[in-house]
Amino acid sequence: MTRVRIDGIVKRFGEASALSDVSLELSPGELYTLLGPSGCGKTTLLRIVAGLLPQDAGSVAFDGVPVDNVPPYRRNIGVVFQSYAIFPHLTVRQNIAYGLRARRMESERTEAKVGEAARMVQMESLLDRMPAALSGGQQQRVVLARALVIEPRLLLMDEPLSNLDARLRVEMRAVIRRLQRTLGITTLYVTHDQEEALAISDTIAVMDRGRILQTGPPWALYRAPQNRFVAEFLGGMNVLAARLARPVAAAGVAVVEVDFSTPWSVVADGAVSESGPVWLGIRPESLRVEPPSGGADHWNQAAGTVTEVGYLGAVARYQVEIAPGVSLTVEVHDPDFQALRRVGDPVRLWCDPAKVRILAPHP
Amino acid sequence: MSGTAPHPDAGPRRHGDAWWVVSAVGFAVVLAFLVWPLSRVLAGSVLGESGWLAFGETYGRVASHRYYWSSLLNSLGLSAAATIGAVLVGTPLALALSRYPIPGTVLVRTAANLALLSPPFIGAYSWVVLLGRNGLVTRWLEPLGWGAPTIYGYRGILLAFVVQYFPLVFLLVSGALAAVDQSMEDAAMSLGSRPRQAFFRVVLPVILPSLTAGALLVFMATMADFGTPMVLGEGLRTLPTLMYGEFINELGGNPTMASTLGSLLILINTAALMGQRYFAFRKAYHVVCLRPLQPRRPTRGRLALAAVAVYGLIGLALVPAVTILVSSFMPTRGPVMYAGLSLQSYATVLHLVPRAIANTFMLTGLAVALDVGLGVLLAYCLARRPSRPHAVLDALIMLAYAIPGTVVGVGLIVVYNHPPIVLTGTWAILLVSYFIRHLPYPVRACTAMLQQIDVRVEEASISLGVPPFRTFWRVTVPLMFPAIVSGATLAWITTIGELSSSILLYSGPWATTSVAIFTQVFSNHFGTASALASILIGAAAAPLFLMYRLLGRQTTVAP
Repeated sequence: MTRVRIDGIVKRFGEASALSDVSLELSPGELYTLLGPSGCGKTTLLRIVAGLLPQDAGSVAFDGVPVDNVPPYRRNIGVVFQSYAIFPHLTVRQNIAYGLRARRMESERTEAKVGEAARMVQMESLLDRMPAALSGGQQQRVVLARALVIEPRLLLMDEPLSNLDARLRVEMRAVIRRLQRTLGITTLYVTHDQEEALAISDTIAVMDRGRILQTGPPWALYRAPQNRFVAEFLGGMNVLAARLARPVAAAGVAVVEVDFSTPWSVVADGAVSESGPVWLGIRPESLRVEPPSGGADHWNQAAGTVTEVGYLGAVARYQVEIAPGVSLTVEVHDPDFQALRRVGDPVRLWCDPAKVRILAPHP
Repeated sequence: MSGTAPHPDAGPRRHGDAWWVVSAVGFAVVLAFLVWPLSRVLAGSVLGESGWLAFGETYGRVASHRYYWSSLLNSLGLSAAATIGAVLVGTPLALALSRYPIPGTVLVRTAANLALLSPPFIGAYSWVVLLGRNGLVTRWLEPLGWGAPTIYGYRGILLAFVVQYFPLVFLLVSGALAAVDQSMEDAAMSLGSRPRQAFFRVVLPVILPSLTAGALLVFMATMADFGTPMVLGEGLRTLPTLMYGEFINELGGNPTMASTLGSLLILINTAALMGQRYFAFRKAYHVVCLRPLQPRRPTRGRLALAAVAVYGLIGLALVPAVTILVSSFMPTRGPVMYAGLSLQSYATVLHLVPRAIANTFMLTGLAVALDVGLGVLLAYCLARRPSRPHAVLDALIMLAYAIPGTVVGVGLIVVYNHPPIVLTGTWAILLVSYFIRHLPYPVRACTAMLQQIDVRVEEASISLGVPPFRTFWRVTVPLMFPAIVSGATLAWITTIGELSSSILLYSGPWATTSVAIFTQVFSNHFGTASALASILIGAAAAPLFLMYRLLGRQTTVAP
């Protein structure tokens, strides 16, 4: 189990800055996810950790020993690429054995280890197939076995599931998580899929434009996003402009003025020193829908009109316009089909003050 | 802990590894064997004999003497006409085959590939065998009182060129048509286009880059062709033949004029090459083809007409090779051939010029081995380490493709006929010419292939503990194998029948088969010429069949 420390990494491509002063630490055995939109620098950071790309400044250390001078073929890392990068001219067996051959392991032990790795990913019956005769999911299993069989200090996975269809993605996600836990291998995982990140990670770092915006366990990030980007990217939080009437001295209920309704009450986690414009964040599932006549005695109300209806079986998702140009996404779980709203229906929304977050002051 | 310098070869994209040696060798070879000889030719046209800016005695002479400017006009006119002819024959052929359910598509494509195998001057010679003064058809028509049309001169050369090169246009356009998705045509028709409009507005624009690139290839090849006008010209001069005459003629020759004519060839073909690259790459559309154009169901009459036209044309393309093969087994006396079956010509050949055949195989084999060896390494540098110097090197290598053999031959002689390095009179100068002129084939094939190979595959190998250079051998080279085979095959086919520089560079015992054929044709020994030409065609076809076996049937010899 390896502790990985990434310290002050800077990377520029010509004029463009890809990473600006990124630091983070992976605890031994944890699955650490870099989550962000495409072009945020997450893959660049992974390639720097792999040694496939040189950084302009900063350092990467495994167990306290800097590896910046170690070429990638001596870092002893397993990499799983988005495009699989399976060796198309080698059989499954030869693919998995590739790294062991490079380490000059004798053939008997190689054979045993390849068999063991193939069993782990349930590919033992297809060892003599060529990659072209495998499905995408099977190729994914081969490259996973190929990366794990060398017993790497660190496993790097670059969007490993993005080329699979939705069902396989969920299945492979479970396989990866189970193997990673059993082997206790420190893993750096890159994805742009927030659901995947929430499902698989011990720790998530949300990245945007070459910076890390927030790190923490999935539940902490989901419950308490610190800024607007994290709120919107992770779980699609509704963000509303509001005004804090007066500073908040300690954790407790704060009152904010909103344009579309009477003032709302919000539970603040801690002190908010300045009054003035702020962003409020509300999860779609935290909003409740009532007929326009009902719910008058609830907290934090807003009257609006349904403009879009998406019925997904377990969930009904509405867009509700509460003021010109201001819409909220609302999710109703286990919707009663007789109570489904239609486009144009007037509704009244409300939500619990504890479910509204003050994100950050308006820029 | 921060700011430590990264390891110099920590990744495949890093500089400072050993690949610079390959690009240094590439630059050295191209500069020594192409750039320097060509600049001597260009310098000769600028400096003249006096040694300083003598445009008057060089280009001025071309402009003022009909002897010179008529050859320039002949070359330009012939190449332009041949290009138009090849396009007008090759394109409808490709269209007919893709749009009508004509049986035997594979057969037609194979025939087109076979037609491209025989060196152009052998094609020209075959027309002499058929329609020349003592030609088979000529003598067959004579008793009927019909004079066969003359094969000599402008029209004969044009016929030989069009028959030689329309299969190339056909193969390139077929390739482009195979990439047009049926849905594009369907979309055009669903938007209200009639079939004819759909073709002109949707299909034609998509295949136009390939068509234009093919046309420019034909233009360059016919411009550079030395053997065809030599065999069929009968006094009609083109730039390469006149350049050869001016350079080789010890009496009335004029080396300065040879340089000037060579410079004109360099300029014209370099311009054509730049046009070809432009159309082949910049203007190429990236189309996703899931379902190729489907054959339509024409009326029975139209289908029959199209089938007859297709098989007639492809038969015409095979006429030269068949003529050579058949005539090589006929008893002959001088240029006259008789009905019958005989191995007399082959016996004479093996007795007379076994050395030339051995030379051809030895020099071609060596040149192709060097081309492939250096080409694979250079392609990796050019494709995986893009940089300004590498772009220059790539352009210089491609230049070899455009420069006529006559010009390269003259340049090599001018540079390497005096100390410090004397190569004239040895086999080495032939090897150098073959090597440098055909280096573009493996380089082009391999760079194209590398662009298809995911760099991540190489990175995966490195991350698994195999250093970059060993990764190259264990992963990249095996994946490039199809390109290596097709590059080697193309280089082999084009080298083995090379005439235009061989005729200048050979000396004494180092005559090649192509040179021997040329001498036999001019001394009216048609039987031996046909036997030698058959051996050449067979030797060119052998690796093509090997390639079919190795890589499947979808391969072509069209560059």
